[in-house]
Amino acid sequence: MRLYLRLVMLLAAAVAAVSATWPFRGEAPAALAAALPAGDATARIVSAAQALMKTLDDSGQAKLQFPFDGPQKTRWSNLPTGIFERKGLRMGDLSAAQRAAVTDLLNAALSRDGYRKVTEIIGGDEALHKANAGPPGAPPGGNRVIFGEDEYYLAFVGAPSTTAPWMLQFGGHHLAINLTMAGSQSSMTPSLPATQPAKYTIEGREIRPLGKENDKAFALINALDASQRSQAILTYKVSDLVLGPGHDGQTIQPEGIRASALSPAQQAMLIDLVHEWAGIVTDAFAEPRMAEIKAALPQTYFAWSGPTTNGSMAYFRIQGPTLVIEYAPQRSLDHIHTIYRDPTNDYGAKFVAK
Amino acid sequence: MAWVVVLVAVAGPVSAHRLDEYLQAARIGIDPDRVQIELDLTPGVSVAPRILTEIDRDHDGAISREEARSYEARVTGDLHLDVDGRSLALEPVERQCHLVGQVLKGEGILALQWEAKVPALTPGTHRLRYRNGHHADIGVYLANALVPASTRVAVTAQRRDVDQRELVIEYELGDPAQANVGWWLAIASAVALLAILGTVPRDPQGEQSPVILGTVPRDP
Repeated sequence: MRLYLRLVMLLAAAVAAVSATWPFRGEAPAALAAALPAGDATARIVSAAQALMKTLDDSGQAKLQFPFDGPQKTRWSNLPTGIFERKGLRMGDLSAAQRAAVTDLLNAALSRDGYRKVTEIIGGDEALHKANAGPPGAPPGGNRVIFGEDEYYLAFVGAPSTTAPWMLQFGGHHLAINLTMAGSQSSMTPSLPATQPAKYTIEGREIRPLGKENDKAFALINALDASQRSQAILTYKVSDLVLGPGHDGQTIQPEGIRASALSPAQQAMLIDLVHEWAGIVTDAFAEPRMAEIKAALPQTYFAWSGPTTNGSMAYFRIQGPTLVIEYAPQRSLDHIHTIYRDPTNDYGAKFVAK
Repeated sequence: MAWVVVLVAVAGPVSAHRLDEYLQAARIGIDPDRVQIELDLTPGVSVAPRILTEIDRDHDGAISREEARSYEARVTGDLHLDVDGRSLALEPVERQCHLVGQVLKGEGILALQWEAKVPALTPGTHRLRYRNGHHADIGVYLANALVPASTRVAVTAQRRDVDQRELVIEYELGDPAQANVGWWLAIASAVALLAILGTVPRDPQGEQSPVILGTVPRDP
């Protein structure tokens, strides 16, 4: 009984922590996702998607829904509105009830940590927006480049279905989540979690949306011996993502150290680092994806460019047969871009009939 | 070559997007008989007016086809490509080159593409050298080999200078005759497999009997 109470208290604390980071304040997220069979997870996401649609009028539904084979699928970016035009349902146009339905949907689609990451990225963008808002009384977005928590968009590419392929697309400045599903199959690639600032505080609490990615990567590079580092560390500077937005279908020659040259403990660290991206999606979808990545681990490479002291600006890339992850500071430790791809299954290419 | 260009006068920089650098990201594809280069040019917000002035030479606020060709020719002249020390001529690929987004906000991209014919090479190790000297004063470079589409080409090493202005790609070129032998072997193997499958005895229902690994007791 005491153990049960402790578990309940831990869960309540976790929900409270997530609620505090969600920028659509005043709304508690739905219960966090437990591991489900993948087909059940799809059904849950579809149910949440349909619940959201019921809150929308015809105009709202028209903004939300796109044909599966149209151009919307690849219309995503890290850039803010004003430079890149997103289509879909704009969060700033929604009522409290509609935002709550979006919250429920994201909770269904993402893992607990993925939901935290997404909300912290949005929170960072809102902090950046406020810092750029100008003097009191100035109209928001006065510099014509618009971002902040209202400027995120949700789109359904294809009708939500438990069997037919469709895609949930959610993004804005520094965020693109592209989750394609068909029955029990799923792909959350390509996706782009990024952040600026990389560190901010809310009510005295320090928030680092991509802090785990940074810290786990530095821990891994520092766990390598001199010989391994000489293989992993590139001799040149990498100042941006190589396979960022617009580079669908491209595969670059892998570089760095092969995971087969790592010890079991180092391999576990690499897997744990990869999970920061592959585990954004709900656990039922992340588990088979992680199994696939682990199976191909011997053919997976880890490459590093930059100093190896945590707190320095460094780029890294993890690349395997079904995986590309890049982490690229943008001339600043406070502005990070990352990309997560599966060159064999972006947009669900493996399971979406041509 | 069609260029779609819109110049938008914008005041105020986008916070923390690329500022005083000119990002030049190249991806290089190697085939046995040709090399393809894709180059994305992204001028940062504070250098974008300078770059656009160089392109828009009559300063009319629009980029004509001729101005676009002229700038492309200038970039072409700033690139070097050779294989085993023999220079290769870069030919612009007929495709839509465009400015994506808004260059003056530091996020527009000029996407250019070239192709170079490679003279007949003997099977074995070869070395392709790419060098980009365009706007070396403000340039920031990326250069990567793409995984070759041809099974005859295998990239074995990439070497760069610290700034990635220069990339040397070592690759193995396979023998076309051996490649053909490989195809014939694959076809022969497939035919043999089909022949073997066609002779496997089947049960009376016309389906192969499943292999039973174990049984699980069920409730009545």
